[in-house]
Amino acid sequence: MKKTNQKKYDCAEIEKRVQAYLDNHLSDEEILMIEDHLSYCLPCDKKVEFEQKLKEIIKLKAAEKEYPKALEDELKKIIRNR
Amino acid sequence: MPTARQQEFESLIAPHLSSLYSTALRMTHNQNDAEDLVQDTLYKAFRAFDQYQKNTNFRAWAFRILVNTYITAYRKAIRQPQKVSYDDLEEFYLYKKLDESISLQETAKEDFLENFFEDDVKDALENLPYQFRLVVLLCDVEGFSYNEIANIINTPLGTVMSRLYRGRKLLQRYLWSYAKKRGYVLNEKN
Ligand SMILES: [Zn+2]
Repeated sequence: MKKTNQKKYDCAEIEKRVQAYLDNHLSDEEILMIEDHLSYCLPCDKKVEFEQKLKEIIKLKAAEKEYPKALEDELKKIIRNR
Repeated sequence: MPTARQQEFESLIAPHLSSLYSTALRMTHNQNDAEDLVQDTLYKAFRAFDQYQKNTNFRAWAFRILVNTYITAYRKAIRQPQKVSYDDLEEFYLYKKLDESISLQETAKEDFLENFFEDDVKDALENLPYQFRLVVLLCDVEGFSYNEIANIINTPLGTVMSRLYRGRKLLQRYLWSYAKKRGYVLNEKN
């Protein structure tokens, strides 16, 4: 059998790194290893995609789109009175 | 006439008012307190503006002041995190629960996420212990990197990561319980 030096990630290693992967906090090498695994492991690919979607939904639904206009007036007051 | 320095401060901070307010609101749970918190932050930031180094990360600098102001103001109200073990929180909790309960198509799983009410997501976030909530907000809502968050909350990187990961796992549990309460998931198998 041919021996290769390239280690592959198993599903447990994807689980361990999924959050750092989605937060873009991995090295290029780790990203390649993950994307390699996701290219042939459908269950992990689905889960990672779901986590990505959840991250987007949190941003979309939890960010306030408006803020009190009074804050702008306060800002002007603060910088002018001091 | 405002001075150049006043104008510079105003133009730097104005684009971040809504994200400062958004974070303040999730941290304080109500609009009046959030407004006060942002106002105090603006005041302190302006007074400290001399210490801000030009062309460094202004947004992170402003958030650092917001976080410090929050912690100072709420020191008494912020209790130590409950002695709950977070170690048994598993990854992919929500996905696995959805998989177990109903055989949803993958697209339906994503629809399930879309269907959450904004208030459910906000409630779930606001129920997180404050240290977890803060890092989840800074990362997922405000888009800061781990290193920026470590700097904003003045905490080692490893702590940022463990709070973030536990916070998200906890958040998934809360979302799951809302989903059941709302009847999004009808037939959970046991
Ligand atoms: Zn896998």
